[in-house]
Amino acid sequence: MIQTENLTYQYKKGTAIFSFPNITLEKGENLLILGASGIGKTTLLHLLAGLLKPVTGKIYINEVALNSLKNNKLDTFRGENIGLVFQKKHAIQSLNVFDNLKARLLFSNALVTDKKIEIVLAQLGLSELKRNKVSELSEGQLQRLGIALSVIHNPQVILADEPTSSLDDKNCKIVIKLLKNQAKQTNANLIVITHDHRIKACFQNSITL
Amino acid sequence: MNIWNISLQNIKSKPLYTFLSVFIASLSIALLLGTQQLKRSFENQIENNLGKIDVVVGAKGSPLQLVLASVLHLDNPTGNISYKEALKISKNPLIKSAVPISYGDNYKGYRIVGTTHEYPTLYSAELQKGHRVENAMEVILGNSVAQKLNLKIGDTLLSAHGLVENSIEVHDLLLTVVGILKPTQKVIDRLILTNLESIWNLHDHEGHNDIKSIDEKEITSLLIRFKSPRGLLTFPRRINERTNMQAALPKYELHKLYEYTSVGFKTISLIAYLILVISCITLFISLYKMVKERAFDLAILRTYGASNFQLIKMVFYEGFIVVFSSFLLGFLLLKIGLRFALYCMKSNNQQNILTALSFQDVLQIAMLILIMVIISVSCAIYPIIKMDVSKILSNEK
Repeated sequence: MIQTENLTYQYKKGTAIFSFPNITLEKGENLLILGASGIGKTTLLHLLAGLLKPVTGKIYINEVALNSLKNNKLDTFRGENIGLVFQKKHAIQSLNVFDNLKARLLFSNALVTDKKIEIVLAQLGLSELKRNKVSELSEGQLQRLGIALSVIHNPQVILADEPTSSLDDKNCKIVIKLLKNQAKQTNANLIVITHDHRIKACFQNSITL
Repeated sequence: MNIWNISLQNIKSKPLYTFLSVFIASLSIALLLGTQQLKRSFENQIENNLGKIDVVVGAKGSPLQLVLASVLHLDNPTGNISYKEALKISKNPLIKSAVPISYGDNYKGYRIVGTTHEYPTLYSAELQKGHRVENAMEVILGNSVAQKLNLKIGDTLLSAHGLVENSIEVHDLLLTVVGILKPTQKVIDRLILTNLESIWNLHDHEGHNDIKSIDEKEITSLLIRFKSPRGLLTFPRRINERTNMQAALPKYELHKLYEYTSVGFKTISLIAYLILVISCITLFISLYKMVKERAFDLAILRTYGASNFQLIKMVFYEGFIVVFSSFLLGFLLLKIGLRFALYCMKSNNQQNILTALSFQDVLQIAMLILIMVIISVSCAIYPIIKMDVSKILSNEK
């Protein structure tokens, strides 16, 4: 469950102030946020992930106010409740696929067995690549690993930042389908921000900044 | 999977950097430990050779020369002193033992020293084979002499005049080997010992004189041990002021010598410290580069729930792994290097026994390295503390 109230953000004094519409999502609901470049999409995502602190306004995730969490507690909360999907880079270069997933779980208290990791890898078609280095994966495979990393710890919220913009039409559809499936399995909220209109049809809820 | 594991994988993924850091650091560690060990060995060697000698009495001249000549057997003596005079001062109640020595001949470069039975006790040297010198013209050999010249009991030798090997001024009286001493790693190992009569005989015979009276007999020096340190205060001064002889304190003279020679050790140590600084800079650069190049990886770890502190720990572990392997490799390089150096110097007739480094020395150097590492790692983690996760993640595109 996510709720935001009157969020605004400003990078430096004297620069433009970003203000964002209020968002309310019930458990399991998905949202697509569309907007042109530079409008503050990533800023909103980072606010929701607790990576930036809003100038005004409040964010509640499962009724916990992000503003009330300090330093290490915020880090731990993020590690346990939020899964982030990026555009291109997803994993730690020096670790292999399986170890990346283990590292993802290292800082949260989520109880996830190696077997669960195997299942997620199988669902995303990465079983055969689990001992491969990240640098040996193709772009599509990397994006799938990114999804695996964002869901392995059973998060409350999955935040995806332009997950499809570097993919072709076929992979674009696959990735959105996988993201929605994984979110459904853990009953998590999925928020995708993008300027990619190809995926508009895949979401019932959408807002444009 | 834990933070250690990630650090280890990070290190494995950049083998060239790691190798370079480890190699340079281990070189400086080996050099630091090596100079320390050589210095300690050198000091130990000389201190060992002092045996239980508190004061040397000999002819007037340079006190350092007297010590080098009569104690370490490295230099020529300052001259001779009267045996009668020497016996007279030996009666001083402060003296525990006074051992006369007389020398001036050699056999194939090894000094022949006329002395008493007490001389080997100064070095706690015991007989390995044979018996003590009972009669004139009998000799016992230091262990190195017997080994190097392959001499056995019953062998005879002709001594040569002077302290350097020559075949021109050879005495015509035969000396017979009657005993061989156990190895001591001290100066006595490379001496040939006989009694005072033998030395006098050799020289009287040369000049075809009759046996001299005690008034005319001479020795080179007298090695003195006191009953208590009190002797050191008054005795040397009395000798220097009231007789035509001089008393030299081996410990004091050698301490002065260290001060002259320590310049070399200081220079090498300085170079080693310099390399240590360079290796710390290398470590800093490689860690700093890692932190900069992996900014995105580190930012991702933050989104996984890692705190700044945990990331810093990760970088510290990497530094620690590099330094720990450097220490091990440095030790290995030191052992191999010293063995090689000893092998090259083996032809010398000096004893080349290395003293093992004390735990304290190693600890001191380890602490120094630790401090340097902490400084370089602290500089390297600065970007982590300043890290703006949001900005790094936004710059991905």
